[in-house]
Amino acid sequence: MKEVLRTNGLKIGYKGKALFPAIDVTLHEGDHVALVGANGSGKTTLFKTLTGNLAPVEGSITLCGKPLGSYKPLERAKLFSLVLTEKPDDLFLKVFDIVASGRYPHSGLLARLDAADMDFIKEKLQITGVSHLIDRDFVSLSDGEKQKVMIAKALVQDTPIIYMDEPTAFLDYPSKVELMKLIARLAVEEHKTILYSSHDLELLMKHASTLWVVAKGKPLVAGGPQHIELDVEDYLGLRKQGAEDNTQHDRTP
Amino acid sequence: MNERTQRPAWLATLIILLVGVLLFALNLTVGSVTVPLKECWQVLCGQGDETARTILLDYRLPQAVTALFAGIGLSVSGLLMQTLFRNPLADPSILGISSGASLGVALVVLLTGHLSGMAVSTLPGWTTIGVTLAAFAGAFLVLLLILALSTRLKSMVSLILVGIMIAYIAGSVTDVLKFFSQKEDVHTFVIWGFGSFSNVGKAQLAYLAGTVLSGTVLAFFLSKTLNLFLLGDRYAENLGLNLRRASLLTILVSGFLMAVITAFCGPIAFIGLAVPHLARFTYHTSNHFVLTPATAVLGMDLALLCNLIARLPGFDGNLPINSVTALIGAPIVIYVIFHRQKVLSK
Repeated sequence: MKEVLRTNGLKIGYKGKALFPAIDVTLHEGDHVALVGANGSGKTTLFKTLTGNLAPVEGSITLCGKPLGSYKPLERAKLFSLVLTEKPDDLFLKVFDIVASGRYPHSGLLARLDAADMDFIKEKLQITGVSHLIDRDFVSLSDGEKQKVMIAKALVQDTPIIYMDEPTAFLDYPSKVELMKLIARLAVEEHKTILYSSHDLELLMKHASTLWVVAKGKPLVAGGPQHIELDVEDYLGLRKQGAEDNTQHDRTP
Repeated sequence: MNERTQRPAWLATLIILLVGVLLFALNLTVGSVTVPLKECWQVLCGQGDETARTILLDYRLPQAVTALFAGIGLSVSGLLMQTLFRNPLADPSILGISSGASLGVALVVLLTGHLSGMAVSTLPGWTTIGVTLAAFAGAFLVLLLILALSTRLKSMVSLILVGIMIAYIAGSVTDVLKFFSQKEDVHTFVIWGFGSFSNVGKAQLAYLAGTVLSGTVLAFFLSKTLNLFLLGDRYAENLGLNLRRASLLTILVSGFLMAVITAFCGPIAFIGLAVPHLARFTYHTSNHFVLTPATAVLGMDLALLCNLIARLPGFDGNLPINSVTALIGAPIVIYVIFHRQKVLSK
């Protein structure tokens, strides 16, 4: 499988202070990796560093064979796409307009779409299962539908890598499962490399193929949820907080 | 531009344009003296009697054409601001930008008069390049200030509050200037501040039309950028937009339109605020490839309507245009606020 992303001795953080020991990871085409960590553990910092919004403290990031810093903004737009927790809130934005904006890095000043572009957009709407929403106002959708529309936008952007910031947050349980399955399907069938953050440990144990576990000051641990040589809850410090906390964790279905 | 965005309500566009033609014709005929349509046509064809020629060619036609272009420019300028700040209440005048323009004009008209010891406004052709440049410089300075602050202020409400405060500061400096100035200059400045579509002479019309049209064309070519702004900064950046450059360009075009019109017509409120909303509701879209031209033609209609009302017989053409634009614009804005609340709480 083609290597898409590699970090070499990557230390991330603010003002020259690294949050973790150096990170050395690689992502290949078709990988879908869940980034797990408590709030404030540095998931957002890692995302910001990988998207080039924050300079690494040390080390390097290589995307598709070249250093991240060597790509111009428009080239980056064709390398990775984002699915964020914040969503567009304009009252008159149509689902189609949002998804079609994924073609913007590929189109000219007037954003003209030819027949091939239209087919491409329709195909991606089909894949994420939101074709029927194409003429709807984006603000009128449910959280789950909005998430799938933003994923369709990312697919239309046609990038090898997709970063998703907590894509399962704010969703009900069936939608969470559906989204996990969609992510796996996109990685395998659409040959995408997907890195997403999530808090839903129980779900990840069942559906994720690879976990990256981060905790402040500790090395990043990577592995499959079944094979990872690590008690994830323990690593994240969930158990140490005291026995009374356990009742809360057990309540999740 | 594709099969979907090229599917705006053509009927709505046709109606808006027809209403525009009708309003323009009414602007020529209605007034303290009624000039029948037939006579208007004769004058436009180079015939007609002397009185009708004077009324039409020297007064009504320049005024109607000024209203038309001012309406286009103010509305497009407002649209750019609303999209850039992702705020339905952003408007060049609300953010203190027209106060900046006023201050610029005050500096030129009042201060130079004070320094040279003579009333500048008595000099021929005071509404020329100098005043335009002063209005533009004043507007642009406030724009830059707003832009610099917008990166520090997280909430857009705070930004608007700061804008209102900047407007107060600019206003009070203007007042101080007025206090020390020649009577004639103050009078000229106060009249300018009322806002009017009738101060633009035939010679300056071409200049106004040219700048407004080029600004509007530039705004249309910013449509892709504006559509990206609507998605939020992080999505826009991820789709290849250079945020800093794009914001600056948008502010530049909006400020340019605003400044040119303010220089010629005085500060005119509410058109820039209300018309983009009218366009969104009429076409039910936020796609700027549709919204920008729609805002332009609706702005033309609304300005012609306001001018017509201000000119109705009985008002003798002396009704300040700002009282009319506020009367029509403010209810639209109130409606927008209630509609927003309804949709968002669903």
